[in-house]
Amino acid sequence: MELEIRLFTGLKCNNQELPCYGKQEFFLDVPEGTTVRELHRLLGIDPKTSLISLINGLSRPDEWVLKNKDRVGIFPPVGGG
Amino acid sequence: MKIFRVNMTNLTVTVEDVPQEWQGFGGRALTSAIIAKEVEPGCHALGAGNKLVFAPGLLSGTTAPSSGRMSVGGKSPLTGTIKESNVGGTASQKLARLGVKALIIEGQPQGDGFYSLHLDKNGIKIEEDKVLAGRGNYEVIKKLDEKYNEKIGIITIGQAGERKMLSANISIKDPDGGLRSAGRGGLGAVMGSKKIKYITIDDTEAPGVPVADPEKFKEAARVFAKGLTEHPVTGQGLPTYGTNVLVNIVNEAGGLPTRNFSTGRFDGANKISGETMYDIIVSRNGKPTHACHPGCVIRCSQVYNDKDGNYLTSGFEYETIWAFGADCCIDDLDIIARADRICDDIGIDTIETAVTIGVAMEGGVIPFGDGEGLLNLMGEIEKGSYLGRILGNGAEFTGKAFGVTRVPAVKGQAIPAYDPRSVKGIGITYATTTMGADHTAGYSVATNILKVGGDIDPLAKEGNLELSRNLQIATAAVDSTGLCLFVAFCILDNAEAFQAIIDMLNAQYGLSLTADDVTELGKTVLRTERAFNQGAGFTSRHDRLPEFFKKEACPPHNAVWDFTDEEIDAFWNF
Ligand code: SF4
Repeated sequence: MELEIRLFTGLKCNNQELPCYGKQEFFLDVPEGTTVRELHRLLGIDPKTSLISLINGLSRPDEWVLKNKDRVGIFPPVGGG
Repeated sequence: MKIFRVNMTNLTVTVEDVPQEWQGFGGRALTSAIIAKEVEPGCHALGAGNKLVFAPGLLSGTTAPSSGRMSVGGKSPLTGTIKESNVGGTASQKLARLGVKALIIEGQPQGDGFYSLHLDKNGIKIEEDKVLAGRGNYEVIKKLDEKYNEKIGIITIGQAGERKMLSANISIKDPDGGLRSAGRGGLGAVMGSKKIKYITIDDTEAPGVPVADPEKFKEAARVFAKGLTEHPVTGQGLPTYGTNVLVNIVNEAGGLPTRNFSTGRFDGANKISGETMYDIIVSRNGKPTHACHPGCVIRCSQVYNDKDGNYLTSGFEYETIWAFGADCCIDDLDIIARADRICDDIGIDTIETAVTIGVAMEGGVIPFGDGEGLLNLMGEIEKGSYLGRILGNGAEFTGKAFGVTRVPAVKGQAIPAYDPRSVKGIGITYATTTMGADHTAGYSVATNILKVGGDIDPLAKEGNLELSRNLQIATAAVDSTGLCLFVAFCILDNAEAFQAIIDMLNAQYGLSLTADDVTELGKTVLRTERAFNQGAGFTSRHDRLPEFFKKEACPPHNAVWDFTDEEIDAFWNF
């Protein structure tokens, strides 16, 4: 299935084996049933960083199962106001 | 410490002891207590009966990290409610070191001339100003730096305040001669109505702030600083990207008000984001990280240069960039920066002004997305033309002038950068705060979107009323300490850092406050402010969001504002 992925605020794809290596905004084919946590790992994002994952604009936990055509936004901790 | 009272009717100054009841107050607690006690709520905000109060926070002037914030209070000419506007810059620390618990400006002089005040270790001098009236804030600062020296503290109003425009702000010099603003609620017009163009503060040989137990204070300040620098938001996110880092996450969450609050996502979001801004600042030799006052360890501010590498603006905030950007459909940071600079120079609130221009765009004055047109409208405000005077009076006034029904304002004050339909906790804050729509009064966005201090669904009702209430109470207390509200990102997650604040207060004042006392202080502040507003004719019917939020769904979540009146009114059950 295909995901529409945006990585923000310094995050980028760190997995050299993927075509999106070094990118922040890309589409990616992943196996059916991939969870948010598995996606983090696939993209090579440091698991120690506490991340905010917005799936179609809604915050979802790491065990959330992704679906085809989901819009995924991943952020490190940010604040302001 | 003393209360300094300047009477502008007869041009006299008196110095008073602090009454027992106000000894434990500073910042917002003190400005609101003074306004509530001394100002008749029904008075005209621009008349002789209103007062303007400056009060450093309880910890200001000490070595406590990020504690140089000042409260400015009065009755707001924009909202008709009580107002506390919180600001950085160097004034708060200098006032505190001079022993000023509060500076109260009252009365009104005869005639059209403007005056200035000068504070130093000998007291306050009132002088006629024949030179700087009619000038912008940047020139005021330049001339006064020349007259005194670069260390001089300055509080000033621009042409907007002189003309008593309802969105006029009060500007405070930062350590590098840039400007910070007591932005919201039109207090610049109150200063203009008192005919004070500027206040200079010279803290040479000031007595300083006494600390009862210096060792304990030092230790608590160390723990607090460690908490701030270790938290990912206050230690990394804010210093690197500033507050504008929020554009992308709020946009992604569908809560970035776009096209005068008609949708929650902006196609040009990334072009105006904190990440893009960081790259621009670095490429033009600006400063991505900058402190609005000495001793701030978070340093969320920045210096933004133009294409030629010359200073354009500083303290370039998310709210400003969102408002001139997404809300007006402008995706060019340079245009937004020029608009911000004009706002700083003429002394007008960026949130109110940009939301007003969004409303004017809706009313057909210029099209959405017209950057040059936007700068022309800023020019009209600067000139004080009839159109400029309409715009300078804010979103609600402008909505009426141009027959617009989608006017995002509560109690007359423009709604800031989070759509209340998609971020419901902040909607409760907009509706209920004593200030008119104000995100800083109870920043539920932290928990709704940023997952700081917990995780409460932004689209559901559950938990959001309690969230806003708890945050509004805590904020009223933080605003009284002189600490920047951004310390909340750390203390909501770190109990040790929160305790360190109480320890600092206890060490400074020789007290034994507990967390419950701090909560009680927050509640007292809110109740005092609400009682003033009730005296001015406000009822629960004013604690409401505009009708269109209930009727028009906000994409991408197609959310509507669905809190009932009864649910909102339960806010005050504490
Ligand atoms: S965090 Fe930012 S706004 Fe707050 S005191 Fe520091 S520089 Fe000023």
